[in-house]
Amino acid sequence: MYKGLLVTLASLWLAGCVDTNWRTAETHEIMPPLDFSLVDEDGQAVEAEDYAGKVTLVYFGYTFCPDVCPITLARLAGTLNRLDDDVRDAIQVLFITVDPARDTPEVVKRYTGAFGDEFTGITGERAEIDALTNRMRVTYEYETPNKRGDYIVNHTSAVFAFDREGEARFLIRDSHPITDAVADINQLVTES
Amino acid sequence: MVSNLLNTFRRLAGGMLVMLLTAGYAYGQDVQVTDARVSLLPGEQPGAGYFQLYNAGDEAVVLVGAESDAFESVELHVSSNQDGMAHMQAVEQVEIAPGERFAFAPKGHHLMLIGREKALKVGDEVDVQLEFADDQRLSVTFDVVSPVSL
Repeated sequence: MYKGLLVTLASLWLAGCVDTNWRTAETHEIMPPLDFSLVDEDGQAVEAEDYAGKVTLVYFGYTFCPDVCPITLARLAGTLNRLDDDVRDAIQVLFITVDPARDTPEVVKRYTGAFGDEFTGITGERAEIDALTNRMRVTYEYETPNKRGDYIVNHTSAVFAFDREGEARFLIRDSHPITDAVADINQLVTES
Repeated sequence: MVSNLLNTFRRLAGGMLVMLLTAGYAYGQDVQVTDARVSLLPGEQPGAGYFQLYNAGDEAVVLVGAESDAFESVELHVSSNQDGMAHMQAVEQVEIAPGERFAFAPKGHHLMLIGREKALKVGDEVDVQLEFADDQRLSVTFDVVSPVSL
């Protein structure tokens, strides 16, 4: 019985060693490093490596989304505002569209510009976006267009955090309090 | 006799006028909308309308739609989160029971305002007609705000 308890404690200890005990949800074990070949808001071809050196927060969305996407990005902007200036300088937010047909570089640039300098819009080939979402095992789906041709895209609602080397570390859900997101982002920036 | 008839007519007409006024007025009194805001970003992207609706009347009211001269189309929508996926869908109608409040709020029910007819910026006001069952309408002035302020 003691042996069983020891094994349990040892495995708990090991699990604790795998990554920091985040208040949000740990992703290091379940997600690969950030990897993509897309197009930035200035129309330049970009790779994930181009964003190394800073902590990167990734949100998948689309600009035709009037409610959830702007509110999530606004909440994220509010989260960043609670950080010290030097911490905030070490963070970038990538808004990666899952609707590149409507979201040109110009459109995502104007959209993300409303939330702050840390926010960058990313678009690209649909196949490259699919390659990224498939690797990260996140999903999105298009609904049937209405008679005006407008369509809704259902998409993952989490914000994914990667460290300065692009390793997946944690994800922030809607249900996580802002104070938890602030604490984890702070820790991720200051650990390195 | 003639004067009696005239008096009756006056009373009747006066009564009808009062009834007409009361009908319109009572509806405006019964359905109270507060905190009406349109969240907009620069560009052509659709906006979201948020407000609080209070049914102060004795009967249920049913919101069935909305329209605005400032937008090509206004739809009732609801956002939801299912297994980590953000969903949005159109809503046919929203019923508010007597004495109940209903919030059109971020990440829940909202108006989706599509196709700006004119340029709008934060600080502007937009009139939106809320359409209820039985052809009742209520004109509401929404403040244009940035989502960052919500």
